Amino acid sequence: MGPVNVERALKTGGRKVPPYIYLLFPAVTFMLLMYAWPFLASVGKSFIGPDGRLGLENYVKTAQLYARDVAFTFSVTVFNTLLTAAAAVILAVYFRMRQNGVSRLLAAVLKLPIFIPFVVVSQMMNSFLAPHGLLNVALAQLGLIDLEKPLQLFNFAGLSFGFVWKQIPFALLIVHGGFQMIDNSYIEAARSAGARLPRVVWRVLIPMNKSSILVALVLVYSSIVGTFTLPYMLIGGKVPTTITVDIAHRVGYFRDFGVANALGVCSYVLVLLTAAYYLRTKLREAR
Amino acid sequence: MSMTRILKKTLELVLLVLCILAVFGPMMSLVIWSVAQTWYWPSALPQKVGFDYWKQALGVQKSMAIGAVSIVPAFLLSLSIAVVTVVVGMALAVPAGYALAKYRIPFGGLILFLFLMPNAFPQQPIFVNLLQTFTRIGLAGTVPGVILLHILVGLVFGVWITSATFRSIPPSLEEAARSVGATAPKAFYRITLPLAAPGLLSSAVFVFITSLDEFTGTFFIGLPFVSTLPLTLYSSSGYNMQFASVIALILLVPSVAFMLLIQRVLKAEYVGGMG
Repeated sequence: MGPVNVERALKTGGRKVPPYIYLLFPAVTFMLLMYAWPFLASVGKSFIGPDGRLGLENYVKTAQLYARDVAFTFSVTVFNTLLTAAAAVILAVYFRMRQNGVSRLLAAVLKLPIFIPFVVVSQMMNSFLAPHGLLNVALAQLGLIDLEKPLQLFNFAGLSFGFVWKQIPFALLIVHGGFQMIDNSYIEAARSAGARLPRVVWRVLIPMNKSSILVALVLVYSSIVGTFTLPYMLIGGKVPTTITVDIAHRVGYFRDFGVANALGVCSYVLVLLTAAYYLRTKLREAR
Repeated sequence: MSMTRILKKTLELVLLVLCILAVFGPMMSLVIWSVAQTWYWPSALPQKVGFDYWKQALGVQKSMAIGAVSIVPAFLLSLSIAVVTVVVGMALAVPAGYALAKYRIPFGGLILFLFLMPNAFPQQPIFVNLLQTFTRIGLAGTVPGVILLHILVGLVFGVWITSATFRSIPPSLEEAARSVGATAPKAFYRITLPLAAPGLLSSAVFVFITSLDEFTGTFFIGLPFVSTLPLTLYSSSGYNMQFASVIALILLVPSVAFMLLIQRVLKAEYVGGMG
């Protein structure tokens, strides 16, 4: 031990502070103040009523005013997560089994939406799905609808189109990555044993790629529950709308942080299972 | 046999055309609106097409139309917020990412947990509670408040990407440098840092784009005084479709261009955190 180290050892009371403490301290402190504290506060304050006393008043009000919106959020999320997962798996199987010019072009096209920010997607859908928007005009030109009675899409249907548009490419990227890891020999073995394509997919590809399909499902699910921009710009304050829009209204119009936090806790509860799965998988991976 | 091949090929082409229409349809809507100078319903396409709204938005031409202001100030504001966010965010993320990659840390699981939480749970309630705290300490509606928020949103990705980068560099290289007499900092600067540079740069670009595109948090913390580009897009979308479309396209281009550049370095999961 050199003289410098002795000096430092004396300063720190004989124990050397490991370097990772210095390296981690700024980022961890930031996260504790800016994330952990507001997270705990959002849960804690949801139980403090307008009179400042502990109670369930915020939840009673949430149930009275927003039960339908919580159900709407849940159904939008489940519907779009399943649709996204199914489409992503089918497309990923197609990309795994067929490599030609058409499939490569399709893969490139389907990559694009991943990189487009939600605020741009929302504006896009806002103009594309409008009663006089491009979709309705195009369908009318094809003679499929009457432009006097356009499709009304600022609701469950339009919201789903927007979510699926943004999420299928993302889920596809994860699932396709998983399929790439499966060696050709497994597929060939199943084939030579007489299995047809659907059976190969169901018995070999999907089971071997279960973890990446589940991760895609979980990330898409959590993302849809928490998305504010798309429902806000597409549906806004119309009924029914999503929890995220209600939170913004509660804060923006009424400065009612109690009910806003209760709604926030509802959204935590909606993702509880997927969050637990995600955290467990990631922590295991890191070991 | 050849019949099934024709059928397969046809199905494949139908799938391709449908996907191209579904992906590019909404984008075409933006492009058409951004150049529509006169568009009376029920005409399928605009009657008069031109770049007037682009010129107004870019501050080349003045206009009296509602909502047609120059977006140059908002663009510069977004850009400077993003630059500060990257500098401060990376100063926090790089050391933390290095520590998580290279040391066995007691309670390391808890620290990882802290950095994973924002991906697992909705973030809007966090923004709502930060708004309350920021209002109390005078940071709500200020640029520093918005920067702190953007650092929060970007930091998690910054830490994960940098830590994955450092983990991919074999420790034997640094050890070899140490064994021929290099000090620990010297080995880091001469060996590890250059090898990590592409990953760190990608991480910085990612944080930059996240800040440029951030909407939800800025909506709570920044409004009504800090109007970044995404917020200007939102506030104009109510009454000026052309103008909103122009801003949307201006935001779209750097996001797609930068992400295409760095996507090879990124794990698929991070990419989902965009916007």
